[in-house]
Amino acid sequence: MKRESRRRPAQPGRGSLPLLLPAGAVFLGLFFLPMAGLFLESFRLYVPGSIGSSANAPLTFANYLELLTPAFAGFFFETLRISLFASLTGLLFAFPLAYWMTRSLSPRWRAIAVGFFVTLMFLSVLVRTYALELTFGAAGPLRPLLLSVGISPNGRGYIETLVGAGLLHYIVPMATLTLLGTIQNVDPRLVDAAQALGAPAWKAHLTITLPLCMRGLLAAFLFAFTFSISAFVIPMILGKGRVLFISNLVYNRFSEIADYPSGAAISIVLFAVALAIVYVMSHQVSKRWT
Amino acid sequence: MGGRVLDDGFRLLALVLIGAIICFLLTPIIVTVVMAFDARAYLGPLPPPALSLRWFAQFFSDDYFLRGLSVSVQLAVLSVTISLCVGVTTAFAVERATFAGKEALISLFLSPLLVPPVVTGFALLLFLSHLGLINGFARLLCGHIIITVPYTIRATLAGLAGIDRSLTEAALILGATERRAFWDVTLPLARTSIVSGAIFAFAVSMDDVAVSIMLTDANTFTLPVALISSMRANFDLSIAAASVMLMLVTLALIVILEKFVGLNRVIGQGVFRS
Amino acid sequence: MPPSPETVIEFRNVNKRFGATTAVDNVTFTVAAGETISLLGPSGCGKTTTLRLISGFEDPDEGTIEIAGESMVGKRPYERNVGLLFQHYALFPHMTVAENVAYGLKHRHWPKAEIGDRVREMLRLVQLQGFEGRRPGQMSGGQQQRVALARVLATRPRLVLLDEPLSALDAKLREELRLELKQILTAVGSTTIVVTHDQDEAMSLADRIVVMNRGRIEQQGTPDEIYAQPRTAFVAAFIGRTNWFHGRISGPASDGYLRFTTDAGTALAIPSPGTGSGEKHSICLRPERIAVTGAEAGAGKPGENLLAGQVVDVVNMGAELHYIINAADGRMMVVEPNRAGAQVRKGDSVNLQFRAEDCVVLQQDSR
Repeated sequence: MKRESRRRPAQPGRGSLPLLLPAGAVFLGLFFLPMAGLFLESFRLYVPGSIGSSANAPLTFANYLELLTPAFAGFFFETLRISLFASLTGLLFAFPLAYWMTRSLSPRWRAIAVGFFVTLMFLSVLVRTYALELTFGAAGPLRPLLLSVGISPNGRGYIETLVGAGLLHYIVPMATLTLLGTIQNVDPRLVDAAQALGAPAWKAHLTITLPLCMRGLLAAFLFAFTFSISAFVIPMILGKGRVLFISNLVYNRFSEIADYPSGAAISIVLFAVALAIVYVMSHQVSKRWT
Repeated sequence: MGGRVLDDGFRLLALVLIGAIICFLLTPIIVTVVMAFDARAYLGPLPPPALSLRWFAQFFSDDYFLRGLSVSVQLAVLSVTISLCVGVTTAFAVERATFAGKEALISLFLSPLLVPPVVTGFALLLFLSHLGLINGFARLLCGHIIITVPYTIRATLAGLAGIDRSLTEAALILGATERRAFWDVTLPLARTSIVSGAIFAFAVSMDDVAVSIMLTDANTFTLPVALISSMRANFDLSIAAASVMLMLVTLALIVILEKFVGLNRVIGQGVFRS
Repeated sequence: MPPSPETVIEFRNVNKRFGATTAVDNVTFTVAAGETISLLGPSGCGKTTTLRLISGFEDPDEGTIEIAGESMVGKRPYERNVGLLFQHYALFPHMTVAENVAYGLKHRHWPKAEIGDRVREMLRLVQLQGFEGRRPGQMSGGQQQRVALARVLATRPRLVLLDEPLSALDAKLREELRLELKQILTAVGSTTIVVTHDQDEAMSLADRIVVMNRGRIEQQGTPDEIYAQPRTAFVAAFIGRTNWFHGRISGPASDGYLRFTTDAGTALAIPSPGTGSGEKHSICLRPERIAVTGAEAGAGKPGENLLAGQVVDVVNMGAELHYIINAADGRMMVVEPNRAGAQVRKGDSVNLQFRAEDCVVLQQDSR
C-alpha cells in the first residue's frame, strides 16, 4: 500500500489572498483606521472655543462622563423611546399587510404590491421626509384640519409623532418585504388543521402563525430598531430642532460647537448601543424563540 | 359563537390597519406630486387652483441645485465603479476560500452597514483631516465608497451562493482549467447579482445625507445636502419639484432592476435583511 | 504489475478518509475496455467518493489509481479525459444545448470545423436533433439527461462515469431511458462505471456489479452471481428479497448433504462442503426457489427440504403472486409467476418445498 498521492498543486485558499488586497486597503483606510481615530478622539480633552482637540491634548474620560448627565440621558432615552414605538408600530402594521399580500392576493397583484414597496424603499429619504413635512407639517394643507380638532402642529407631542411617522414610512415597507418570505414559509394548512380541531381563526393565528414567524419578526424588528436609533435625516427635518436624535446631537457637536471629542464620544456610545442591540437580539432572544 | 365574532372583529381590524397604512404611505407622495404642479407662489391649502410647471423651471434654473446634482451624479458613478471592482473581487475571493474565519471576515466586510452613517462620516472627516486631505470631492468620494462597498459585496456573495457547485465541476471535468471555468461559468451566472448590487449602490450613493453632510465643504456638496439646506432655509415647492424628479429617477432604477434581475430575486437575495 | 492492454482503469488498495470517517477502505477493482460495471450500495457506502476519486475532485490518501496504465497522481480533473454525468446533469443554464455539448470539445482544442459536426452527431445519437438552439431551462428532465449524456460522450472519453443516472426521473421515464442508455453506451463502445443505490439500475445496466458497504467492497460479480451466490449477509439482503434461517451446522446428513439446525429447531439439508461446523450461520433462500405444495405431501427426499406453514396473506401483484407464510422459523415469502391465479388461500396449511442447493450458507454478519 504505497503512499503515492500528492497534494494538488494550486490551493484555492492561497490564490485568493491577493484578491483581498483592494478590500483590505479600502476597509483599513476608510473604515477601521478612521473608527480607531474616532475612538481615540473621544478620549481627548476639548478646550472650548477651539476646533476639535489640539494635537497634544491629554486623555480624559470627561467626554463620556458628560454623557451621564440627565440632559444627555434625556436625548438618549427619547431616541430609544421613539425608535421602539416606531419599530413596534411598524411591525404591527407590516404583519397583517404581509399576511394579506401572501394569502389573499393573486400572484400578479402580489408582484405589483412588491414592486410598490420596493419602489418606496428605494425612494430617497429626503423625498419621503419632505413629503411628510409638506403634508402633515405646520405649513401644510392639513393645518386647518388639525387646528379644528384641537391639535397644534407645533406642539411637542405632534412633532414626536411626526418623527415616529417618518420612521414608520421606511420601516413598514422594509418589514413587509422581510415578512413576506417568513409568512410564505408557514404552511397555511397548519391553521386549517387548528381550525378543524376547534380553534377560532384568531386563536389559531395567535398560537400557530405568530410563533412560527417569530424569527422573521425578530429580524424585522432588529433592522427597524437599529435603523431608527441611527436615523439622521428624519429627525433633523421632522424634528424641527425640538426633537433630537443621537445622530443629530453628534452633528450639532460638530457643526455648531466644533467639540469633536464630545461628538466622538457620543458617536462611540451610539455605535456601541447599536452593536449591543444586534448582539442581544440575534443571539440571546432568538435562542429563546427558535 | 364568541370565537366567530372575535374572528370577524379581528379580520375587520386587520383590514382597517392595512387600509390605514397604505393610505399613510401613499398620501404624502401624492400630495407632493400634486403640489409640485401648484401654480401658486406660496404654500396654500389643497387642492391647488391651477397647475403649472413653474417649480420645475425654478429647480432647473437654480444653480445651487444643479451643482449639487452634478456632484451627486459624478460621485455616484465613480463610487459605484470603485465599489464594484472592490466588492466583486472580494466576494469572489471570500467565496472560494475555505479557511476557518470566513464567516467572521464576511461580517467584518459588512460591518459598515451597522454603523450609524453620521458616525462613519464623522470618523472619516477626522481621519482625512489628519491626513491633510482637504479636497471636498475627494473626501466625499471616500465616504461614498465606504458606504457602497458592503452592498456590492453582499449582492455578489448572495449571487455566488446561488451557483450550483456541480456546474463548476462539470466545466472542470470537461477540460476547462479553474480559470476558464471561472470565466465561462461562474462570472456569467453571477452577473445579474453583480448588476443588482451596482444598482443598490447607486441608489445608496445618490440618497446619502448623513455621511455627505459631514464631509461636504462650501464649494462641493451633493444634491441631498443642497436640498436639506434649502428645506431649512426656505420651505418652498421647488423642493417638491426636485422630489418628483428624484421619484422619476427611482422609478427608472426600479424598472431597470426588474428588467435585468427581476424583483423577486432581489427580495430573495435578502438584501433587505440586516 | 503491468496492466493488461484491455484494462481501462485500475483502482488498487485505495483509502480515503474525511476526518475520523473512512469513506473508502482498501478498495480494489478493475474495469476492462468496453465493460460496464456498477458500484452499488446504500448511501454512505463510499461509491460517490470513489467516483470523485476517479474523476479527480478528491485525492486518495493511499493506493493507486491508473487509467489506461497512466498514474493519476497529481492529475487535475481536466487532465484525465474522463467523462462524468452528474446526478442532476449540471447543464450550463446560460448556454444553449449546442454550446453545452461543444464545451468539452472546445477545451480539448478540437478544430472548429469539426466541432459543429460532432455536436450534430451526438444530438442525433441521443435523439435530440434540432435542439441545438434550446436552453436547458426550456427542456424536460428526460431531455436534459440526454443533453448531459451527449455532452459527456462528445469528447470520446476513455472512461465514462454515471452518477445515479436515472434517479432524478420518475418511474415510467426511468424504465424507458434505461434501455436507451444501455443501447447508446453499447453503440459507442464506451467503458462505463455506473454509481447507483438502485439495484434495478445496476442489474439492468451492468456486466459486473461491485457491491459496496461502509467503504468496503462486499462482493464483485455478474448480476447472476451476486443474486444467486451472495457471499455476505449484506449482499443477500441488499439485492432482491430473501428468506432467512439462522442456526448452526450440526453434522452430516444422508447422501453427502449436511444437516443445518435452525434456532427454531428445524432441520434442513444443505449442500457440502460447508464452511465449518459449530459456528453460527445464516441461510439465504430466495423466494422464487420455494414451491408451495399441499400439506399432505410426503416426507422429503434426500437433498430436499419440506417445511410446514400456514398462509397468512396472498398478494396478487399482477405478473407475480406473493405468498406470505408463517413457518416455525418466522415469516416466509414465496414468489411465483402468476400463470393461473392463486392456488392457495389465506389460512390454508401448506408445505414449503425447496432443494438443499438453493440454500446459500453465509456467516452471520457480525458488523
